[in-house]
Amino acid sequence: MLRRVPWPLLVFAAALFVPALGSRFYTFVANDIVIWALFATSLNLLVGYTGLVSFGHAAYFGIGAYTTGILMKKAGLAFLLAFPAAGLVTATFALVFGFFCVRLTRIYFAMLTLAFAQIVWAICFKWNEVTGGEQGMPEIPYPDFDWVERVSGILPFLGGYRTSEYFYFVTVVLVAACFWILRRIVGSPFGRMLTTIRENPERAEFIGVNVRRYELAAFVLAGTFAGLAGGLFGIFNRGVFPDFAYWTKSAEVLIMTLLGGMGTFFGPGVGAVALILLNQQIVSYTEYWPLILGTILVVLLFAFPGGIAGTAQGFARWIGRRLGRA
Amino acid sequence: MTMRMVTMLLAGLLALPLAAEAQKPIKVGFPMILSGPGALFGAPALKGAEMYVEELNAKGGVLGRKIELVPRDTKGSADEAVRVSRELILKENVDFLVGTLTSAEGPAVSVVAKENKVVFIAPIPKTDQLTAKDKLHPYVFRTAANTTMEGRSAAEIVAKWPVTRIGTISPDYAYGQDVTRSFVEHLKKIKPSVQIVDQQWPKLGEADYTPFINAQMAKKPEAVFSSLWGGHFVTFVKQAKPLGYFDAIKYNMMAVAEAGSPESTKAMGADYPVGIWANTYDAFYWAETPAHRDYTARLAKFTKDEYPSSWAIQGYTGMQFLAEAIKKAGSTESDKVSRALLGLTIDTPAGKQTIREKDHQADRGQLYGKTVKDPKYPFPILKPVEYVDPTKFMD
Repeated sequence: MLRRVPWPLLVFAAALFVPALGSRFYTFVANDIVIWALFATSLNLLVGYTGLVSFGHAAYFGIGAYTTGILMKKAGLAFLLAFPAAGLVTATFALVFGFFCVRLTRIYFAMLTLAFAQIVWAICFKWNEVTGGEQGMPEIPYPDFDWVERVSGILPFLGGYRTSEYFYFVTVVLVAACFWILRRIVGSPFGRMLTTIRENPERAEFIGVNVRRYELAAFVLAGTFAGLAGGLFGIFNRGVFPDFAYWTKSAEVLIMTLLGGMGTFFGPGVGAVALILLNQQIVSYTEYWPLILGTILVVLLFAFPGGIAGTAQGFARWIGRRLGRA
Repeated sequence: MTMRMVTMLLAGLLALPLAAEAQKPIKVGFPMILSGPGALFGAPALKGAEMYVEELNAKGGVLGRKIELVPRDTKGSADEAVRVSRELILKENVDFLVGTLTSAEGPAVSVVAKENKVVFIAPIPKTDQLTAKDKLHPYVFRTAANTTMEGRSAAEIVAKWPVTRIGTISPDYAYGQDVTRSFVEHLKKIKPSVQIVDQQWPKLGEADYTPFINAQMAKKPEAVFSSLWGGHFVTFVKQAKPLGYFDAIKYNMMAVAEAGSPESTKAMGADYPVGIWANTYDAFYWAETPAHRDYTARLAKFTKDEYPSSWAIQGYTGMQFLAEAIKKAGSTESDKVSRALLGLTIDTPAGKQTIREKDHQADRGQLYGKTVKDPKYPFPILKPVEYVDPTKFMD
């Protein structure tokens, strides 16, 4: 019964409805969440589906943000070109870094991803001429929405929103498209193979799978989608900063993934919702937020070992069984 | 008769919400580093702002309304500063923003202020970028010194020293580069006989300064300009002292970036290279004017600290500029307050200060002096301490 409800579609429709509530703040928070949800889900392709724990996923987020930022601000390129470029450039970097990373396993893999991320951060921090150095690049322009006003003559329901709200709609549609592609990927034979590798890489090797090549492919895909999320985030954040590639961002996205549940496809998205709302509420109450946030996270991780989504799924199944028996 | 009563009643009813409106506090968002190492400077700046607000509210506030300060932790990162500033505007509905600390946070929040048409006063960030021509907009103002002013003030002092061979050591990032460039250019202009014999650029957060120290000593500079700040300066000094660095340059060092603040000398204690020159925003022992003596006494009481912080004055003055501008504008509308801030002169605890119309920059000078041991205090102080007025050499 519960399974037949098209949840993703409902969430998508609800997300599109947010600006109509009239609060600019809700749109702002929703926009933040949507982008981070994509970032966390892209990481889950590695952590949850392939069993590779990356401590440096922020590198690709940062590269994507800088790519879109530089192209739109300095080269004056349209968003329509700058956004896919973020994915392309990030994919290239992920291919190079991944080539070395997948040669290592477990903790060594994690350390190397972290090392590459710190290199990316250092370059962003130091290369003043291109990245703006420590001060980053404030004032990334919004995409051009003038056409909406022209079109709204024919399609009146489109007009009348603020630029930031138009950008939110664009974000929701693009992220939904990315989610759909990611879902297809993990459901495909390729995705199944990644899970096989996670469960038993030796066995996968024995049945003739080129494990490294599969891992590299997953690495590049995860990086690409993180780059797309970064491209959106730079515009949303009204500026790109070296912190985007710093290890604390990698940790944040890893926490989201674990908190939401890496065993489920939508878990990391749920984690993004939870962490952003928690952070935003706690920071506005106290300056001792690290203590409180840390405590809550410890409790949540103990209470929901499979993450929030994993536990919810288990609960739904349990209800289903009870109903079936009755 | 009844008609008049009805009119009066109606007028009364209409006035009610207006009166309620007037009683609502004026909300000021205060994004500042309140956690991590940067909190050493951010937390006292917030204290200073809180003290000003408390004193102002006790006197009835401004335009008959109280001021409510809404602080938020920027965690020392520009994107978090942007996030909290937008939250302050969208959710808390603040009327103004005063705050940010680093040179990354300032310009980032300036963009938010511009897009939301909210007046933003930056009391600490020094980067010239914040008020550069292409970045300036009607809503951004700075009550801190900038890198041009700081570098040139230092050059004015060093030019008077009987030295010609100058070296520099600065962290290799925007602030270090900008302030060093301003220092070198201005020094060469006012004293053409100087020679820059060596420039060292350790990376920000360098752990081992030894190679830089040795390389610099090999070039035999007679005086050195440093813009290493906070903990970086501490690390540098601890490594330079045993190598005989300060003896080699005969303590002819000009250490900017608030290396002479009571906080810094207190933190370093006996390790401090007493005899060098340094600067600070404020010093509780600077008993220049009655107004400053009074401010220091109030701050000592407010923060329950015998030797109160030198950073509090930045938060205090930032809020003071805002409140005076609101009073002058007679309104809390962004556009009116922003216009009132142009050319506004106020009496700060450190003397008269003016926000220039041209670039929205206050003529905020700093205190400079030679560090000496004083038996009255358990840490070195600047003596004689002198306020360098930057008006003469601001662009």
